[in-house]
Amino acid sequence: MKLDIQGHSGCDIVIVHEDNDLFIHKSTHDPGYVPRLVNQANKQIVASKIEYQNIRVPKVFDVEKSDSSATIKMEYIYSRNYIEHFEQAGFEQIKYLIGAIKYFIDLEINNSQMQTVPSRILTDKMADVARKVEKNDHLKDDAEAQELVRLSSEVMNSVGDMVMPVGMCHGDLTFSNILFNGNNYYLIDFLDSFIESPLLDIVKIRQDTAYLWSTLMYNKPFDKVRLSIISEKIDTAIDEYFTGKYQWYREYYMPLQLMNFLRILQYGHDDKVIAYLKRVISSQIAFINNSKTA
Amino acid sequence: MMTLIVPIAANKDEYAHKLPQPFRLDEEGVMYCVRAITGLPLNEIDDIYFVILRDHDERFMLKDQLTMQFRRQKLTKAHVTILDKPTNSQVETVARAIEVNGITGMVFIKDADCYFTADEVLPQNGVAIYALENLPIVDPQHKSYVAVDDMFYVTNIIEKRVVSHFFSAGGYCFEDAQEFCSYYEKLKNHKSLYLSHVIYSMLLDKKIFRPILIDDYQDWSVTNMHY
Repeated sequence: MKLDIQGHSGCDIVIVHEDNDLFIHKSTHDPGYVPRLVNQANKQIVASKIEYQNIRVPKVFDVEKSDSSATIKMEYIYSRNYIEHFEQAGFEQIKYLIGAIKYFIDLEINNSQMQTVPSRILTDKMADVARKVEKNDHLKDDAEAQELVRLSSEVMNSVGDMVMPVGMCHGDLTFSNILFNGNNYYLIDFLDSFIESPLLDIVKIRQDTAYLWSTLMYNKPFDKVRLSIISEKIDTAIDEYFTGKYQWYREYYMPLQLMNFLRILQYGHDDKVIAYLKRVISSQIAFINNSKTA
Repeated sequence: MMTLIVPIAANKDEYAHKLPQPFRLDEEGVMYCVRAITGLPLNEIDDIYFVILRDHDERFMLKDQLTMQFRRQKLTKAHVTILDKPTNSQVETVARAIEVNGITGMVFIKDADCYFTADEVLPQNGVAIYALENLPIVDPQHKSYVAVDDMFYVTNIIEKRVVSHFFSAGGYCFEDAQEFCSYYEKLKNHKSLYLSHVIYSMLLDKKIFRPILIDDYQDWSVTNMHY
């Protein structure tokens, strides 16, 4: 039996019923995406071998690959999405989630090495963003977007070499890539990151807790006030925890969050989303510049 | 010291020519909003504030009518607070009443569209709860639901999602009026703000809420409205 469901990575996702078990078949027929999907599978295989307390990773059973397509067969997880989970979660479940996120990131940090990330990684990425914005039909004539790119380039040029933990990172740790099963949280859709640092995972999780990004993609009705209250609670807890512990977090979180939103902006095609991204990016640049003068 | 607040300051299009339901009289000639508090242990309460809108008062002479009701029910500690403008939520109505009247200490908020009896209200944060199975007819979409653990601590409260067989019965106790107002200030920019959001926000901040056990629940509401 096969059941097709909608994914958000561009891949085909099919639930397959075999031998009284359910499995996920995630596949792509885009030759350009094949290496990315295979890398994702390999990252997931490595991650699924590590114990993370409440945070788990679906097992990968098989990876089939050709030049033109790839399919990953993995464990099916009975779960709810984060909005469904938050809609019904008692305060203690939110507390468990906060603890689990801190634990997971700390484990990533402990499995990473402090390294110097050369400034050119950030400036090259910024140049790449500028090129993509210039080619984007929705942005190339947008003076405000162009100005934000210019101001962002100034920010990135001023960051310099960054010393931070490098080695372990989910790569796309947004709430939409977490499946909620009671107090167990299953991570899916691992990705390569331009810096393989746990800091990038904090950036991605705060993309949702501080900026409510994934709610923009959610089409069903939900209690926006409750979600906002919960997100703010998680965000404050994460920010205070890492601010108190790590200099590299205090120093590089905001420039990397700015880069994160610029990399979303570069592919923007929906006017409302672009307007939202410009507001966020503008506020981030202002925050960074104000912090410098303070 | 405990203050009872009955917020009835919602505005709706239908009230342009129609007396809001809580100000109508029951078959004994008692206003529903006044009947709504008569099951509470009023001897434990120092002051009672019915919070209404100036527009409603001017059109329906509500302050005079309420004053007569207070006299008839021997509610010597009851007052009427008139707000000049409609509020955006029941939470705002309560916060405005606290501010205008300089209320401090514990506040008990009672919805005007329902009735219950409670033997005592303990000096702690609490939510009046009632079990769905005790109702002959249920209107689940217009209620908020309250989850409690085995030791009767509130763990969750949510609008219109059945997470428990207990629903919020329209009575809320806050230990500290100023703390309530500080949460209102934090959340006031949200549209569709409910008391359940304030309580949930406080739960996330490790404030403890206990259920207030009630009897004889009667639901007079016909629509989902805030007062």
